[in-house]
Parts: sequence; structure tokens; C-alpha cells
Amino acid sequence: MLEIKNLHKSYPIGDSSLHVLKGIDLSVKEGEMVAIMGSSGSGKSTLLNIIGMLDEADSGQYILDELQIKNLTEKKAAVYRNKFLGFIFQSFNLISYKNAIENVALPLYYQGMKRKERQELALFHLEKVGLANWSDHLPKELSGGQKQRVAIARALAANPKLLLADEPTGALDTKTSYEIMEFIQQLNDEGKTILMVTHEEDIANMCKRIVRLRDGVIMEDKKVTQVRAAQYV
Amino acid sequence: MFDRDLWSEVFNSIKKNKMRTFLTGFSVAWGIFILILLLGSIKGLQNGFAKQFEDDASNTVYIWPNVTKKPYGGFDAGRRITLKNKDVEYIKGSFEGSFEYISSVFSRNLTVKYKKEFSNFPILAVYPDYQYIEKTTVEKGRFLENRDIEKKDKVVVLGKKVVDELFKDEDPIGKTVIMNGFPYKVIGEFSDGGNEREENKVYVPITTFQRIYGNTDVVNNIVLTYNPKFNFAEAINFSDVLEEVLKRRMIIHPEDQGAIYFNNSAEGFSNITEFTNMLTVISVAVGFLILVAGIVGIGNILVFIIKERTKEIGIRKALGARPSQVMRLVILESIFITTVSGVGGLLFGTGLLAIVSPLLDLPAFSKPSVDNTTVIIATVILIIAGVFAGLIPALRAANVKPIVALRAD
Repeated sequence: MLEIKNLHKSYPIGDSSLHVLKGIDLSVKEGEMVAIMGSSGSGKSTLLNIIGMLDEADSGQYILDELQIKNLTEKKAAVYRNKFLGFIFQSFNLISYKNAIENVALPLYYQGMKRKERQELALFHLEKVGLANWSDHLPKELSGGQKQRVAIARALAANPKLLLADEPTGALDTKTSYEIMEFIQQLNDEGKTILMVTHEEDIANMCKRIVRLRDGVIMEDKKVTQVRAAQYV
Repeated sequence: MFDRDLWSEVFNSIKKNKMRTFLTGFSVAWGIFILILLLGSIKGLQNGFAKQFEDDASNTVYIWPNVTKKPYGGFDAGRRITLKNKDVEYIKGSFEGSFEYISSVFSRNLTVKYKKEFSNFPILAVYPDYQYIEKTTVEKGRFLENRDIEKKDKVVVLGKKVVDELFKDEDPIGKTVIMNGFPYKVIGEFSDGGNEREENKVYVPITTFQRIYGNTDVVNNIVLTYNPKFNFAEAINFSDVLEEVLKRRMIIHPEDQGAIYFNNSAEGFSNITEFTNMLTVISVAVGFLILVAGIVGIGNILVFIIKERTKEIGIRKALGARPSQVMRLVILESIFITTVSGVGGLLFGTGLLAIVSPLLDLPAFSKPSVDNTTVIIATVILIIAGVFAGLIPALRAANVKPIVALRAD
């Protein structure tokens, strides 16, 4: 479902340039749950940005769901992001003045869905993350774990092919982190493809495959036995 | 446009920046308020002038031929211009509906004699229309009629003072007076609202005099009144066109001010109209400049808001907001602030004028007001201004990279 070949990316720094990704090959099949690990500066964030169509590679191939992702206009990138990708952020990134259900409904709004329809769909997803009763609460009235669950519901709302999570548990305590991971594992069990950037070993081990980056190249790519988060909760 | 979410976001953004939004909106409202007051005051001046025009002025145009001051069309300067019967017929034919009454005048100063009494009087040979142009009142008998003109009869209508001097207490109607050796039958006596100079005159049919004095078709001058339904501007315009046409017909340089003398009672007000028009232009310019200041202010505050909301916009874009959708939000917000505050200033200004207007009815300043067109134009300008004010911030917002959403706070 995701095919990356010989991906290169460098950033100009003054007169010289910094070569961040030096030929990445990565293939992810439907239903996989992959952790991308690496120290800061390893290029893992850049790789996620490119996969998330927030940034574009200098050279190489990126195919998502049989669609070549190249030279996208901003408009097209926005449409693809909306259609194919669900984002889960470290800092949740909920819109502060919108309540839970409005936040979840936002991607649907940008799809042009009618208000009533998207409210129903958003409520369905909130129910799924167990927060149906909190639908009219503002983000500041929710705990960290609840916020991340709203964010996950939002990422799921448009029924994307691929969930991209950037340190999804980075801002949460261990117990809440495992709750969130348990939920993400459930989504994976249901068939969602998940790609996650993390630097925590225990979180990475809850995935089915770990890709380690160092200095812009893949150092290690191995399948792991998934640790179920449920046993810690 | 009536997208509930879009509006709720506009309101949220405004709510978060209440004070700043109010202060900027105020500058727009203030600009419009001043513009409305200025325009209303100028309207008041115009009303004052127009009222004076209607009250005092008669709608008469006098046309006097004179001597050309500029060479033109192969003629030297100094050529004497003469008006003839056919010129009057030409005006009649060309300006049907533009004038109400018209008469050419052929005048002489002659001695009028009745029995032993005689004296010098200005004799005006005219058409029957002249009665209405001069607004003379027939006291006895009748005024000149068309049959007198056709038959070239030797008949006269005498002014009240002429009758007093020649006839004393005698009834003049049906009597005969002698002018230059010819006998004329008195058919009427007129007065003119106490204007003694008018009552000193004698009227005869123009055709009679033209035959007796040189068997000519020359006339000394032309008098006409324009259509009473004409407003001030139409009256001026008619007179201008008439002057242009006559100059062309007489082969006079268009700029030659002395060859034909036009005395239009509306003319005096023409300068005033130009003056108030100039004032209108100036006040629109001033109001516009104030408005520009307000718009720059709104643009400024929006740029600031966008900066504050960079991350939020980044999140929206990561979730699939297209650049156009982000721009729409910002521009709508800008239009909303400019229009609401502008319409506020508009209502305040027109409201103030509406209260003050009935109280102000001075000769030179009467009923200041703004018309609906001005109000509608101002509103449209505000909406357009809102678009412009929002344009730069909107482009900034559209250019926000969604990557900022991934940055940790």
C-alpha cells in the first residue's frame, strides 16, 4: 500500500546543504503497524513529513495506494491528505475553541460533507473512542488521554487508508500511553495500516515491525512480536 | 456564504480579539461617519442654493446679438451679428419642448402722441408670447394676439404710466395714438406688478414694425422662457446647447464670449453648482483617505491574528483544508469587520443627519441628507475594501505550511 524507493531529501543551510534522507527504501503492506525509530537528526521526522505529504522529496519514488505522489499542488496535497491520511500528533493539536465533536468533524467539513451528516459520523467515531458523552466539551475540559482519543477519532473520521502518528504518546504518562496504545492496536486489529514515529522502545515494541533510522539511512528493518498493551492496563 | 461553521469561526476569531477588532473597526466606522456628514452637509448647501433659485429666479433667457471679438470661419473680428426672424423660427423648430414661451423683440424709441399730449416711450414690437414672458397683467382691453401679427395691424398696448401721461382720466381703449406719423389703435392697457419701468412701455405687433421700419426681418433680441419642468441642471444645459447651436449657425468662434450675449437667470447658480460639486469631490477624497487608514488597520490586525493562529491553520491544512478554504475564512472575517463597522458608521451618520435635518432650514443650508444611492455605494465599497484588507493576511494564511502542525509547542 506504501512504496518508497531511493528517497533523498536535503535542506539548504546557508551556502551548504544538509543531506537528511540518503536513499530510503520502505514498503508497507496493508494492515501493518510500523514504528519508525531513531535519535533526533536521524531523519525520521522528515520521512514522516514526506509520507504525510507535508513535505516533498528531492528525488526518489513515493507511491501511496498505487498513486504516485509527486509535484503536488497545495490544493491537491490537501485533498490527498484529507482522503488518504489520518494524523495523530504528539501535542494532540485540537482546535482550542471547538468542542470535541466539532474537532472530529473538521476533516469531514473540509471534504464538503453536510453538517448533519458529519455530526452523525463524528459522533460515531467519538463513541468508538469512548467519548460520546464528552462531545460538547472543549479540549481544555479534557484530560491528556481524552484529548488524544479525540484526536484519534478525528484522524479516523475521514476513514483514511493510513494513520500517521508522530510520537502519539510523547505527551502522556505511562499509564495513559498504554491506554492509547491499546486503542491504536485495536484499530490495527480491525485492519488499519499504522505508521508511527517514536523514540520509546516499549511503545515501538507494541508495533509489529520496527524500522530504525540513523543518519538518513535505514539501519535495521525487522518484524517484532507485538507486545499487547492490554496486559499493562 | 451562509455556512454555519465558517461564521462560527469568524465570530470565534473576533471574540478572541475583541478590543483590537473594536478599535480597528472604529476607524472604519469613523471614516464612513465623517464621509456621510460631509456629503450630507454638501447636500444641505445644494438644497439651500436650489431653494433660492426656485424662489427668486424667473426662468428667462435673454439673447442679445453683438459684435464678434474673434476672427472665425473666414470672417474678421468686429463683425456685427444680426438675428433675424428665421433664427427665431429655427430655435422654435429645434428646441421644441425645451422652451415654453418665445418672442423676438424689435424695439424703437418713439414719440407717442394723443391729441395735444405727447412723450417719448420705448416701443417694443413683440409676439403675443411676450405677455407671459414679462408676466404683464392686462388691465383693460386685450394684449396682442396672433391675428394682429398676421394682419400686421397698427395696434398698440400701452403701459399704465403711458396711459396716465397721455390720457389722464380718459379711457384709452379704442382711441388712436400717433407714432412717427402713423395712427395706431389702442387695444389694451397693462400693468406689471408695480414695476414702473415696465409700465412705461408700449407694445406693438412685431410684423407691423418690421414692415414700417425698413421692411426688414431683423430682430433686436430674442427672449424665451424654458420649460418650467426643467430643473436647475437641465435649464443650464438647455441654455448651453442653445448658445452652442446659435454660435455655429452664426459662424461665431465657440470661445467668443462677446458676439452673442446670453443672460440666463439660472446661470448665476451654475458657479455654485460647480463649487458644491468640487466640495463633493473633496469630501469623497477625504472620506476615502480616512477609510484607507481604517482598512490598513484591519489588514494589520488580521496579519497579527494570522500569525497567532499559524499553528491552528497548519493543523487545518494537515487535516485537508485547501488553501482557498483558508483564504475564504480570513477574507470573510475581514469583510465582516469592515462591513459591520462601516454600516455602523453609516447608520450613525445618516441617523444624525435625519435628526438634525428638520431643524436646519436656513436660506443657504437646508435639509442636509444623503441619498440611498450614496448609502448603497458606500456599503459596496466597504465590502470591496474588506476583501482588499483581507487579501494580504489571507495569502499569508494560505501559505502557512502544514508542517508547523507537527512541531511540538
